[in-house]
Amino acid sequence: MGKPNHYRPPARKEKEGNAAKYVMRAQAIKILQVSLSDFRKFCIHEGVFPGEPKKKVKGNHRTYYHLKDIMYILHDPLLEKFREIRAYKKKIKKSKAKKNDELAKLLTSLAPSYKLDMVIRDRDLDDPLTMVHLFAMLPAIDRLKIEVKLCHEWQAYISRTHKLRKVFVAVKGIYYQAEVDGQKITWLAPHARQQVLTDDIDFNVMLTFLEFYETLLDFVNFQLYLSINVKYPPILDPRLEALAADLYALSRYFDANHRASVQEPQVAGSSVKLKKMELQGTVPRESLLFVILAFGGVVSWEGDGAPFSEADDSITHLIVDRPSQGHVYLSRDYVQPQWVYDCKGTDRLKEPSVKDPSRLMMSRKKRRLAEAIEIGKQRKKDHVERLKERKRNIEAAQKLDKKHKKAQHS
Amino acid sequence: MTPSLTMGHQESQNLDNINPLETRDEDFVERGENDALNDNNDQDEHSERSQSQQAIDESDSSEDEVAPRNTIGDVPLEWYKDEKHIGYDFAGRKITKKERRDKLDSFLASADDSKSWHKIYDEYNDEEVELTKEEIKHIRRLLKGKAPHAEFDPYAPYVDWFKWDDAKHPLSNAPEPKRRFIPSKWESKKVVEYVRAIRKGLIKFDQPKEEPRFYSLWGDDSSSADITKHLAYIPPPKPKLPGHEESYNPSLEYIPTQEEINSYQLMYEEDRPKFIPKRFTSFRSIPAYENAVKDSFERCLDLYLCPRVRKKRINIDPESLKPKLPNKKDLRPYPFACYLEYKGHQSAVLSISVEPSGQWIASGSKDGTVRIWEVESGRCLRVWEIGEAVQHVAWNPLPARPILAVSAGADVLILNTGFGNEEEQKEIKNLLHIGTPTSDDSDDMSSYLSWLQDEQHDCIRLRHYRTVSSVVWHRKGDYLSTLMPADILLAVLIHQLSKRLTQRLPFKLHGLPVSLAFHPTRSIFFVATKKNVRVYDMLKQKLIKKLETQLREVSSIAVHPAGDNVIVGSKEGKLRWFDMDLSSKPYQNLDCHRKDITNVAFHRSYPLFASCSDDDTAYVFHGMVYADLNENPRIVPLEILRGHTSSDGRGVLDCTFHPRQPWLFTAGADSTIKLYCH
Repeated sequence: MGKPNHYRPPARKEKEGNAAKYVMRAQAIKILQVSLSDFRKFCIHEGVFPGEPKKKVKGNHRTYYHLKDIMYILHDPLLEKFREIRAYKKKIKKSKAKKNDELAKLLTSLAPSYKLDMVIRDRDLDDPLTMVHLFAMLPAIDRLKIEVKLCHEWQAYISRTHKLRKVFVAVKGIYYQAEVDGQKITWLAPHARQQVLTDDIDFNVMLTFLEFYETLLDFVNFQLYLSINVKYPPILDPRLEALAADLYALSRYFDANHRASVQEPQVAGSSVKLKKMELQGTVPRESLLFVILAFGGVVSWEGDGAPFSEADDSITHLIVDRPSQGHVYLSRDYVQPQWVYDCKGTDRLKEPSVKDPSRLMMSRKKRRLAEAIEIGKQRKKDHVERLKERKRNIEAAQKLDKKHKKAQHS
Repeated sequence: MTPSLTMGHQESQNLDNINPLETRDEDFVERGENDALNDNNDQDEHSERSQSQQAIDESDSSEDEVAPRNTIGDVPLEWYKDEKHIGYDFAGRKITKKERRDKLDSFLASADDSKSWHKIYDEYNDEEVELTKEEIKHIRRLLKGKAPHAEFDPYAPYVDWFKWDDAKHPLSNAPEPKRRFIPSKWESKKVVEYVRAIRKGLIKFDQPKEEPRFYSLWGDDSSSADITKHLAYIPPPKPKLPGHEESYNPSLEYIPTQEEINSYQLMYEEDRPKFIPKRFTSFRSIPAYENAVKDSFERCLDLYLCPRVRKKRINIDPESLKPKLPNKKDLRPYPFACYLEYKGHQSAVLSISVEPSGQWIASGSKDGTVRIWEVESGRCLRVWEIGEAVQHVAWNPLPARPILAVSAGADVLILNTGFGNEEEQKEIKNLLHIGTPTSDDSDDMSSYLSWLQDEQHDCIRLRHYRTVSSVVWHRKGDYLSTLMPADILLAVLIHQLSKRLTQRLPFKLHGLPVSLAFHPTRSIFFVATKKNVRVYDMLKQKLIKKLETQLREVSSIAVHPAGDNVIVGSKEGKLRWFDMDLSSKPYQNLDCHRKDITNVAFHRSYPLFASCSDDDTAYVFHGMVYADLNENPRIVPLEILRGHTSSDGRGVLDCTFHPRQPWLFTAGADSTIKLYCH
């Protein structure tokens, strides 16, 4: 121990300006007295993000948070709940360390949980829907069943009320755009394939987002279902659920609960309404079910639980993705899945130009381009042929000449 | 004491207990009166009680409670409701009920009796008890929640019954009994009992109340924008929407070739395209997008880690920034259509000049001729063969003196046009006649310049020693200024026609002069050098102003008829408007010509000015100068006049306005003169 320090710093000045408006992340954690991971969770749930002060008091490479936001978190009851949970987890840990498994089990079963309904505020639905659709495509574990459920509920509402406006099939997935309450909502649903998971992803962050989005979408769905007088959460036919035909089950549920308040389809053309479509084999069933239903069409598929059989005479279109192998129905139009999406894009049912299912269905523009390319190739071919012919002629003429000369000589 | 008493009884009992009189029980004389009277019942009671009690509990202290007169015990009084007695005394005699007074009587009695407020009716003993002052005090203390006796001290210091002083050892030194160390058998039995009951479901715990999981969070109206008010909340930017190139089957032009894909490797990592379009011919061949989870994760990171700033974008329609121009129709008349062409020259017309009355126009051409045309008919009236390319022609501004100054090569000819009446002609002939070649000028001048009589055209010939590029008349018609751009010292000469005098400009010129102009009303002279315009006052013989044109090579200058505004044209095709009152810097820059501006001109009366250029066009502008000094001149481009064709890389070589009509004459390198009318 050295000499006691008798120096007293001068009285601190009141902070002003950006120094008073912003705090660094470490400071914020100190104010809130939470761990960094909990702080991140709060940021995600409360929608708190760093700010960009005009004058960075503590340096350029720091994260600045609005003090106002931090103070808001500080007064949130969720903070207390988080602390409670933290303390409780210590209890569980302690009991496990003491090999008291029974107590640990009991404590785990009685663990306090928290609800996020109070932190939901107006945020747009694009990100939640995209993320929930992505997680619905990830390997099916129980944790992710709720995502599948949420997706189907949302899609069922959209298709029931015919609010789908645009569909675009991209490499990344299928983009949908719906218009709900005058708001344009765009989301991306990945293709139904095995997703690639890499190591450089922090799933804790994503799951926190997902947790929030689940609650948000639950409440949104509830509100939407309330607006069309349908009870939420819906109770589905267990047989169809087992067949993974949730969307169809939901549409049946709607039919059963429908109380004449559902709007009649206004867009997407009534001409399509009575079309019956049948999906075959490898086509993306979920997506097409959704789109065709949103279209006002009637749709069925090959396999169990289908609404009507494949041999039904009233089927007008058959959606196929590969050259037909079985029996070809002459009364039906064989169309590619893209045809359905194209119809959606233009709000009008297009005439299928190709009856032959073996040919590619192409949009007009693409077809024209392809034709142009074909013509170009043909021309080139012709040109080469002509050249060859000319060469042949010349050679023939030379031969004749030689013959003549020989004849003369002789 | 009886276990339970009726209210009235108890009260009386309590009061009795409190009664300090009781202590004196023994002192009272026993009366033995059982048929107690209303008046002295208190006395009676006490006497009776003392009598009975003496028998039962002798040992009791003086504070013993007084037993009631009635001995029926704790039975409902209803049983004696219809009897004449209310019970029995200790001797077993009946206690008869008193006369029951009716309500009115009792009320009157109570009203009359001032002591009625401390009288209580004892139902059990059927008597009225009068409370003493002491008793009332007790009641009051009790009501206040204090001890009934005023002398009682509830907070008296504790006096221990045992004396601990000097005690070395505890009271008991017995070892802890074993029972304190073994679990209680009774307790374990009880626990087992509870466990069984819980298992059987006999004991149920309070379940946490099930709340509905979902409820209408937003209420009926979904307008809850105020939730976000307390936060500095900025909504995140939406993800970018896909374009054609992201389609699973985009058009061929979107697909990069292998070379292009290879070239991406050479780029910086940030610049590399994030997404390379691919083509899949059918739905079933689309694979999973490998970055789907990664993209989503990155979006999450962006959402909670990226600082958000509200950027203010200025969204201004560029059209609205343009100054409001008046409608062209309101600025009429101005020349816009070619009305006449004057053809006759063999080569490019270098210069034109309109007669002050506006009836005639003179033109000088490269073919060495000067022609005079009638404006309205286009008829060529006269031709002079000069022999050399005519650089410049200028009419004398006096209408009464129709003479023409013509510069051709190194000579300036002053031609008599022959117009005007006889008197005027006479005068002109006098003026243009030089008897003998004069050399009265200063000797240094005579070597450079000589006034000669030209016999051929019957005119004066001013012979310079270098090429004269332009000739300018003073407004009074007597002075004449010539410009020799090749010379520095004698570049600008001023000749007086009447006296046949020539003088130099008495100033040093910085740079080669290019163009000259006289002020239309005052004796001010403008000399444009290649970069600047110098303004001289001829009377005071000094420099007034220097206008900085900020141009590389000035080609022409024109002065507004009011005299305060000057336009300068340059060989870069730029036009500068100077407001001399405002500044020595240009007021307005008009950069509209693509090639050299050859000449600029003001109209004498209309608010018009024009510039002509080698790009075969002439521009007509509206240039209004207001009398109010606070108001800036209004300049509006009006019309582009086309029609001339270029030859030898030259276009329109000269332009000049009609003195009275809003007409513009242009002289072109295509050897025509055009008249544009309104």
